[in-house]
Amino acid sequence: MLEQKVNIVSHQKIAPDVFLLSFRSDYLAAKARPGQFVHLKPSGPWPLLLRRPFSINRIKGKNIFIMYRVAGRGTSILSSLPQGAELDVMGPLGNGFEIDKKYSDHLILAGGIGLAPMQFLADRLKTMKLNARLFYGCSGKKDLLPCAVPGKVIATDDGSCGYKGFVTDAFLSRINKFRTPVVYACGPWPMLKKTARICRENKIDCQVSLEAFMACGVGACQGCVVKGVKEYLTVCRQGPVFNSREIDWEQEATL
Amino acid sequence: MRNIRTKNNVDLSVEIAGIKMKNPVLAASGAFGYGTEYLPLVSPALFGAVITKTVTLLPRAGNVPPRIYETPMGMLNSIGLANVGVHRFLEEKLPELLSHHPLVIVNIAGNTMEEYAELAGMLNGQPGISAIELNISCPNVKQGGMAFGADPIQAVKLTTLVKKATSKPLIVKLSPNVSDIAAIARAVEQAGADALSLINTLYGMAIDIERQKPVLGNVTGGLSGPAIKPVALYNVFKTSRAVNIPVIGLGGIMTAGDAVEFMLAGAAAVQIGTAGFINPNTVKEIVNGLKDYCLKKKYPEVSQITGKLAV
Repeated sequence: MLEQKVNIVSHQKIAPDVFLLSFRSDYLAAKARPGQFVHLKPSGPWPLLLRRPFSINRIKGKNIFIMYRVAGRGTSILSSLPQGAELDVMGPLGNGFEIDKKYSDHLILAGGIGLAPMQFLADRLKTMKLNARLFYGCSGKKDLLPCAVPGKVIATDDGSCGYKGFVTDAFLSRINKFRTPVVYACGPWPMLKKTARICRENKIDCQVSLEAFMACGVGACQGCVVKGVKEYLTVCRQGPVFNSREIDWEQEATL
Repeated sequence: MRNIRTKNNVDLSVEIAGIKMKNPVLAASGAFGYGTEYLPLVSPALFGAVITKTVTLLPRAGNVPPRIYETPMGMLNSIGLANVGVHRFLEEKLPELLSHHPLVIVNIAGNTMEEYAELAGMLNGQPGISAIELNISCPNVKQGGMAFGADPIQAVKLTTLVKKATSKPLIVKLSPNVSDIAAIARAVEQAGADALSLINTLYGMAIDIERQKPVLGNVTGGLSGPAIKPVALYNVFKTSRAVNIPVIGLGGIMTAGDAVEFMLAGAAAVQIGTAGFINPNTVKEIVNGLKDYCLKKKYPEVSQITGKLAV
């Protein structure tokens, strides 16, 4: 974990309300694992208080990419920062995805901006020569986000592209094609809940990446907890990636 | 050459309740975990003292999430004293923290007065614990906390009981959620408190207008951050004039300038809470800033700032 000042290398809008930002960090490029996140704020004026957590979308060379959706004041301010602007970045934080070669198929399930951490994961799976597939769901063609993975299945709510319906249904309809699959999921709570249920019923190992309001990002404040089966779990330190069986899916979504 | 020597000559140490601290910047309870979460970014030894997350007799799960929300220049939390309990604290957390050589103050809370006393007794024989901070001001628990801090009679009873159970210096952490904080301060001073720290968070809440529900799972929470600084400063000013024991100030301190304000108002030391979440280097910046302020004002000792306010 390091706190450093970096400059924005590129920053562009890639879909309605969705931005792709990159900065250079030798440290993060060397240390970060797929599924980990950074806690950041602009170095300059920041009319807000807390940092904001963002999963790492991709690492290309020494460049770190962050894909985010404008959802509140923090992301709105962030989206207005020009190329060259200085960011104060803490990271890498969190545990990241666990990749095990024992699985025959590495299935990535993403809903909406839940795609954010998955390119990094897909790239790592490719490097490890593991068989990856992406199931990606969003509201419609105009909201499609980029993710380079072979064997992509797209589902849209309005049917404007690919499968018409939920990504979880698209996944369920193809579930028997895989021998010993593992699922990595990130997206809205109802989607994760359904994914966890499908995986449990079909005895598939499933890792979910969660989000929460966060203060410290390192496990000190106990603010970002999610209800686990046994106890509260800190999303920032024990997560953001959890085995889906660790989570109490009956709780109300916190974000 | 003379300038360099002068620079080294500022004595940053302070003595509070008989404890000598190398600088007057402390980590506030709850904001620095068990002291090692920020490694390798922040060494706990940078602080004059680390005040641990509140420890209770039994482990506590804490309140229903969401537990954190941001407000204009403030932060609401309803953590609810989530902690591993005193046994695991002593077995795992304390030794790990002590291996980094900080001065450690343990913050305690209980559901009943007897629990507070039992905890104080358990910690009494522990080497490496320099003092006890009594949490009678947490707004996020139903029992204990505020229940004892809002009423001078209860506060006195509790302080007396805990004082009997421990030979370690006792710091009592007070709440601003009372009509007269100075009255509570005087009462616990009479009961044997060696120092006071104030303020804890202010009651607050936030509402999600789409869902028409409170944002926090616990409905209400405690407000911290720069938004509460003027309130905290006023309470430190008022209280430090009402008692003869040292007052440690906290509440929205973000910069060295803020720390100087608290010391001018009467604080012998300060605690850093919310600021550390945003800038983990706050402790270094404040320690250096205090030194610079002393050089500028030609104070050989940082303790000379305390109470210097001209009114």
